[in-house]
Amino acid sequence: MAGETRASLAPDDLRGSHGPARHHLLTSLFGTPDLHRLAVYREHGGYRSLEKALKEMTPDQIHAEVKASGLRGRGGAGFPTGTKWSFIPKDVPGPRYVVVNFDEAEPGTCKDRYLVEHSPHLLLEGACIAQYAIGSHQAWIYIRGEYDRPYRMLVEAIEELRQAGILGPRPFGVDYPLDVQLYRGHGAYICGEETALLESLEGKRAQPRSRPPFPAVKGAWGRPTLLNNVETLANLPWIVDHGGAEYAGFGVERSRGTRLLSVSGNVQRPGVYEVELGVTFRHVIMELAGGPPPGRRVKAFWPGGSSAPVLPESMLDVSTDLDELARVGSMGGSGGVIVMDDSHCVVKAARRLIRFYAHESCGKCTPCRVGTNWAERTFERILRGEGTVADLQILDHVQDALQNGRCLCGLGDSAGWVIMSTMKHFREEYEAHALRNQCLAGECNVQRVGAHA
Amino acid sequence: MALSKHAIEEIKALPQRFPEIRSAVVPALDIAQEELGYLTPEAMSEVASLLQVDPGYVEGVATFYTLFHLEPVGEHHFYVCTNLSCMLRGAEEICEHIRRRIGVSREREISADGRFSYEEVECLGACEFAPMMRYAHAYHYELTPEKIDALIEAARSARPASARAGVIDRPESQEAEQGHGR
Ligand SMILES: Cc1cc2nc3c(=O)[nH]c(=O)nc-3n(C[C@H](O)[C@H](O)[C@H](O)COP(=O)(O)O)c2cc1C
Ligand code: SF4
Ligand code: FES
Repeated sequence: MAGETRASLAPDDLRGSHGPARHHLLTSLFGTPDLHRLAVYREHGGYRSLEKALKEMTPDQIHAEVKASGLRGRGGAGFPTGTKWSFIPKDVPGPRYVVVNFDEAEPGTCKDRYLVEHSPHLLLEGACIAQYAIGSHQAWIYIRGEYDRPYRMLVEAIEELRQAGILGPRPFGVDYPLDVQLYRGHGAYICGEETALLESLEGKRAQPRSRPPFPAVKGAWGRPTLLNNVETLANLPWIVDHGGAEYAGFGVERSRGTRLLSVSGNVQRPGVYEVELGVTFRHVIMELAGGPPPGRRVKAFWPGGSSAPVLPESMLDVSTDLDELARVGSMGGSGGVIVMDDSHCVVKAARRLIRFYAHESCGKCTPCRVGTNWAERTFERILRGEGTVADLQILDHVQDALQNGRCLCGLGDSAGWVIMSTMKHFREEYEAHALRNQCLAGECNVQRVGAHA
Repeated sequence: MALSKHAIEEIKALPQRFPEIRSAVVPALDIAQEELGYLTPEAMSEVASLLQVDPGYVEGVATFYTLFHLEPVGEHHFYVCTNLSCMLRGAEEICEHIRRRIGVSREREISADGRFSYEEVECLGACEFAPMMRYAHAYHYELTPEKIDALIEAARSARPASARAGVIDRPESQEAEQGHGR
């Protein structure tokens, strides 16, 4: 990659859904050569939606289409986007901001990077439409610091837009100034949490704020702020172009449209796939991603990033409908589908995730700071072959203490769910490890020690 | 080590980009680290005085974010993802291989020749290419021992950088400058 030139910014190493398909609302053009160039994006109809929004629609009309679309946030919580927009006060004078959450640090999640590397202008067009819709003239994209290539692509795309006058005082000749700025993160998962992100943007340590006030009312630099995920905003050009009703024609019940799922782990074709909401995980994992390696079975999958409670193989027919996932005790989360096959140990996987949450805890609330560390040490003991019944009780205890609003932000809950869901579905693996020094998957050292004893 | 004139100018130009001066702290630390390789206490004080904020505040911010190094790292530093998707596809073996090849016993230890180090990091958002790492401002995908060997070989045969700024390939640092400039 050394010496990478401007021309070679176009990625040729992307894997997932490409090209036309009825349900490819975001990705139909992906794979078009040089789609990241403004000229190419415009040749394929790019920025037509922004022009239409500015010239033919009022902000209220855009808002109505977004509501009609049924779109729900793709960042993690699945909150209805139209409803979130309505929390932005209309009558407050002074600046207001659109903030794009491109922190993408949820383990197993890589869809926003995929989206921006394919089509940076798709995000920028969405961010511009959002500015107009909420009466803002300034968007900030908070991009994680490790994303070097997406950052450079956005820098160039923004420059192209400035030169074309689409960012500036009079986009498409309309007297509505638009601008987009970039802000690079510096390696902290908690920055993805919306209020921590705002703290970080303001130059502080990224510790979540207590709410209310919500960012819609008092967000970046104390101003009304709309904060949305990359993929959420990237849907806006399509919705403005085709109308909210047509968008709502995709998907099921309260999960409308399509979403990007990044499938990783033990599958033969890891990649980012755009699916219509409502398809099953069996379709996603076994068909799109090619299933586990030959001779292996799926043991477990995390349906929405590491923060979504794990599900066992027997639940592969659960659908991607957000409400159905909630009913079975998990969630749609960030769309990061992590697949683990039967050669891997659930206890070891849970230990790795708990280490992540312990490391990323911002330290502001005691149950999270202390609980994640305690859990991590307990996992270490169990995996060293020193586990006891007491350790399993500790884990039971800690997972409970982390959940149910005892912590200020979702990170604490997520850590609790890792323990809770892995113990619920794979109790026997925990017991074998903690009580008999056996690894049922045959992956961990304790088992080898035990086998020779 | 003090910051160069150029870096100082860049840092002074930062606050105008933001509604509030504090937002410039992290980008300023970025410029300092890019130049010095890691953040020395002096560099942090210098940033504080350039931006007219409290030095303790700057240090508090610098210690919060993992991309800031408060101690030296090797000239070639590998950020290897070891989170779940990468672990399931062999990240542990990759780390072990790197340790062996650069002759260190743990992460963040610098190789005897001072040129290499590695660090185990959390998910880098490229899980579909697991196992992967970030090195020299680029992602390296689907790592194998052979790929690691090739990168280390290429790094060894390149001339050691005398000044830190020379470590990064020109096109990259131009990009970085462009980024800071806006
Ligand atoms: C610990 C934590 C990390 C999060 N990380 C991200 C992230 O990386 N990207 C993201 O879009 N949302 C993330 N979220 C969710 C955001 O707080 C927020 O709900 C979301 O960005 C809102 O956008 P949406 O409504 O478009 O989904 C995270 C939440 C928590 C609690
Ligand atoms: S739950 Fe954890 S990460 Fe969230 S605010 Fe509390 S300590 Fe910080
Ligand atoms: S788990 Fe390694 S890049 Fe996501």
